[in-house]
Amino acid sequence: MVEPEIDFQKTYDAVIVGSGAAGGMAAHVLTTHGLQVLMLEAGKKLPIEQELRSMEWPYDNAYRGELPPDRHGLTFNEYTIRRPPYGPGFEKAKHLHSYIGETDYVKNILVDERENPFTGTNYAWVRARCLGGKTNIWGRLALRLSDYDFKAKSRDGYGEDWPIRYSDIAPYYDKVDLYLGITGVKENLPYLPDSIFQRPTKLNCAEVTLKQSLQKMGRTLTQYRAGVTSDGLKHNQYRSRCLGRGACSRKGGCDIHAAFDSPTGLIYPAMDTGKLTLRTNAVVREVTVDPKTGKASGVHFIDSQTMKDYNVRGRVVIVAASTLESARLLLLSKSQQYPNGLGNSSGHVGHNFCEHIMGPGVVGQATDLVGKPSTLDDGRPGGFYLTRFRNLAEKHPKFIRGYGFEGGSGSRMFPEGTDRHGFGASFKEEVRQNQGSYVSMGAFGEVLARYENYVDLDPVVKDKWGIPALRFHYKFGDNEHRMAEDMRETAQEMFEAAGFKNIHVSRRILTEGWSIHELGTARMGNDPKTSVLNQFQQSHDVKNLFVVDGSAFVNASCQNPTWTIMSLCWRSCDYLADELGKGNL
Amino acid sequence: MSRDNPINLRQDRRQWLKTSATVLGASLLPPAISAETSSAAASPQSKNEPKSPVRFFTPAQHSLVEELSETIIPADGHSGGAKAAKVADYIEQLLRESPDQYQKSSWLEGLRLIDLMSQHYNGKSFVDSSSEERIAVLTVLSDNERMTDLPEVRFFLELKAATVFGYYTSKVGIHDEMEYKGNRILTEYVGCDDPTPKTT
Repeated sequence: MVEPEIDFQKTYDAVIVGSGAAGGMAAHVLTTHGLQVLMLEAGKKLPIEQELRSMEWPYDNAYRGELPPDRHGLTFNEYTIRRPPYGPGFEKAKHLHSYIGETDYVKNILVDERENPFTGTNYAWVRARCLGGKTNIWGRLALRLSDYDFKAKSRDGYGEDWPIRYSDIAPYYDKVDLYLGITGVKENLPYLPDSIFQRPTKLNCAEVTLKQSLQKMGRTLTQYRAGVTSDGLKHNQYRSRCLGRGACSRKGGCDIHAAFDSPTGLIYPAMDTGKLTLRTNAVVREVTVDPKTGKASGVHFIDSQTMKDYNVRGRVVIVAASTLESARLLLLSKSQQYPNGLGNSSGHVGHNFCEHIMGPGVVGQATDLVGKPSTLDDGRPGGFYLTRFRNLAEKHPKFIRGYGFEGGSGSRMFPEGTDRHGFGASFKEEVRQNQGSYVSMGAFGEVLARYENYVDLDPVVKDKWGIPALRFHYKFGDNEHRMAEDMRETAQEMFEAAGFKNIHVSRRILTEGWSIHELGTARMGNDPKTSVLNQFQQSHDVKNLFVVDGSAFVNASCQNPTWTIMSLCWRSCDYLADELGKGNL
Repeated sequence: MSRDNPINLRQDRRQWLKTSATVLGASLLPPAISAETSSAAASPQSKNEPKSPVRFFTPAQHSLVEELSETIIPADGHSGGAKAAKVADYIEQLLRESPDQYQKSSWLEGLRLIDLMSQHYNGKSFVDSSSEERIAVLTVLSDNERMTDLPEVRFFLELKAATVFGYYTSKVGIHDEMEYKGNRILTEYVGCDDPTPKTT
């Protein structure tokens, strides 16, 4: 792989801020178009296989796979009781992480909350500062959106429609499927379009029981649509096909890169073109502006280790720092010409912040599996996805939009059911007899995009590099709470209908941010007064500024966003290259 | 101590706390504070010596933790229990490396209280008790596990959680007890054919 040094004298065709799903895709598409690209990543390039160690047994790990004792991952209760910034009160822990940081395999991937504080309302903000960002540890559920989502306002009157429809993005979904690999089963659902799937894995017995029962209710359970290559990718030398090794259920990543991650899926192949320069440890402080033209001229960054300042130049600046960091960067990029932040003449940067609500879910037992020998159930990229069924043909009286469930069942390395009462011989026996019979699922529901849910800059608190922290003004609303009530009811009803026993419904709503699907802070639209970007994720105000991550979403839908982020980004970068070639930027 | 007639822990503890001082005299277990200072006093070593970690538990405390964990997950005809899985060593390391002084002292206090209970109900220390007698002591705590304001109940819950985690992440727990089949390269995921003939 060619790794050219950063050239501060050069004007790059494009400077990309961020190396996650969006930044990686921008690098792939633009280098394919022959552009000279510089990518800046705030974190390190980690020896990722050594971090993930996907096949390490717990007993071979010094802490059985848990965090070392000098580190702490925030718990649900702590998020509930405390307010950001989450540093004070945890002095015993040398490093403090978000809730996902509860294993030894992600400790260097996730940021330290103390170095990266934020303020305002409670939020479980999961950030991964390293090459590839959160794609190193993502959940891999790779779903398409449909016109039920893109044209949701036309259907129920709420919010805004997207400036695109499904037919605009469908060819790009196809490209992403073929370039990165996805496994799943075709279902022909209008509200959840199929991808071009590679070989699927089967459901297991309890999942089939649930699927058959749901069919009678007109609901669809399908194999987890995983952004994982099950057949392999002949054009990519950095990724193996999935070997079903079974570490997917533990919080961590895939060290053979069968699961998509941005470095092996997008960035390394882009570097092989010789047109991509990567600079890690580059904390971008500001998008700089040429006062004569009003256009973006490049970026100003701080080396995260030496604290030195640098300026680099680009003909186009592409912001792909993740939804909240991208909004922060635009707000930080204030100048006389852009006093409210760059690309923010609408005042919508940071607003319309949305995501998925989580918490309600259910666990039950398929009693016909009690006492059966242990089976191999976690040697696959995921369990099942139960697709949206609300507000499709019929209108629910209590809430708009929809939700789906992610779930699974079967034997795992660490058995289910150890939270039972008692101890001794009977406890041990019951854990063994019951372990393979549990089925569980949890809901992901659309949080409406509201102008009132927003982030801005904290006037006082700064991060380790002296950069103003984000301040959250964000809460779930009535529609979400009514939807959550329905999630609990339907979860129970569906498990009862399937004949599962010992059903326990989880009633709590997890802290805002838990889904790690934050979206919408620089939304697209046709009207520059009410949106930040046009349909090609190009700033209405600054022609050579693009924001290509989840911040461009107009609503959250209830589907996981990564595949849509990458498909939109591919489409926008095709447009960008074309416009740049025509001299329009 | 049958299920039909569970012991009221809150009532009983007044007695066993009161009688403890006189009956026990020189306890098997030093109180929390002296245990910590004694292990700290034993720590100075010459810099050239290979670093052997200072034990958190005294040998007597370690034996007690072994027997407690084995009572929670015993060996049976199917596989070894917590002792075979060296759960006490796992707990020892957990506490030795913990930066949480409160957690450390509450474990030592918990061990002390368990032995007081054993003296009260069985007339002998927990380690010297028969397995039925040991079960009887932990049954009092398990039956009253909602009384989380009591330190011995909190200790029992933490002991159980640590034992369960230590056991099911051990070689004995994963391979012998659970017969876990994963974490290897699969040629084909077996799963279930769809539609499945339902097993009855």
